[in-house]
Amino acid sequence: MDWRAAVEALKADGFDYFDWLGCVDEIGRQDCLRVVLVVRNLSQRAEPRMLSCSLSRADPRIDTISGVFAGASWHEREAAELFGVEFIGGERRRLLLNPEFEGTPLRKDEVLGARTGVNWPGAKEPGEADFTPGRRRLVPPGVPDPAVWGDRDVSQPSPDPIEISESSVGGRARRRRT
Amino acid sequence: MTSADASHRWIRLIEPACTSCMICARECPTWCINIDSHTESIDGLPPGARDRTQHVLDRFAIDWSLCMYCGICIEECPFDALEWVTEPTHPAPTSDALVEEMVPALSTELA
Repeated sequence: MDWRAAVEALKADGFDYFDWLGCVDEIGRQDCLRVVLVVRNLSQRAEPRMLSCSLSRADPRIDTISGVFAGASWHEREAAELFGVEFIGGERRRLLLNPEFEGTPLRKDEVLGARTGVNWPGAKEPGEADFTPGRRRLVPPGVPDPAVWGDRDVSQPSPDPIEISESSVGGRARRRRT
Repeated sequence: MTSADASHRWIRLIEPACTSCMICARECPTWCINIDSHTESIDGLPPGARDRTQHVLDRFAIDWSLCMYCGICIEECPFDALEWVTEPTHPAPTSDALVEEMVPALSTELA
């Protein structure tokens, strides 16, 4: 069943209160973006229903449901600019970001570039007062190992998005696995 | 709720409890905690014991211009060396002055 028809069926079934729509980047578990929708039935005190749909990360496209729930349009615009999902037939204007902004900030393989140029206070080890270069260091969350991103060997192929996304939790800098 | 309760509070270092483990500085989402420490050997060990060292805290500074008062550092500290204080943070004329040195020896040395 397609996405829009599934949402319409839920609405016809009494779940006619739109709660929220969001998106999750499943990279590292599955190569997909998951669009999630929650609707409620206010008259029967039923448990809310959650619908989800997996989209390819390379070309995420899904039908808009703004014709079913007008309020979903804001949520779709947010998911569109933060995750790069295209909602076919939906409102295409930006909601939060500058028109000039490029990128998909809530995808987990998005590097927090502003963090790469600043010394992270947590990179020091106990007993250190300065940033001694040339040691195996912790990298801050959101910044990949320099060997993977930033300082990498440009003759090598581009880093794997999964490897970049692993940096979202931070940790000890590792050499790139080959 | 009075306005005093509603205002955000101050975070204080309990210096004797701090082991300079860096966990708070690494967990801080806004990178506002700066810690310097050095290693000293422990004197007065029984004869024949192997040398032992400990970390000595030199500097513990919180930049109140970056801190968002989330309290994650207080939650994460394994030695309970950080705590909430009820007074609000001090006002300051410049953002540099909002960097608060919490190890008194260093702040007097600088002054």
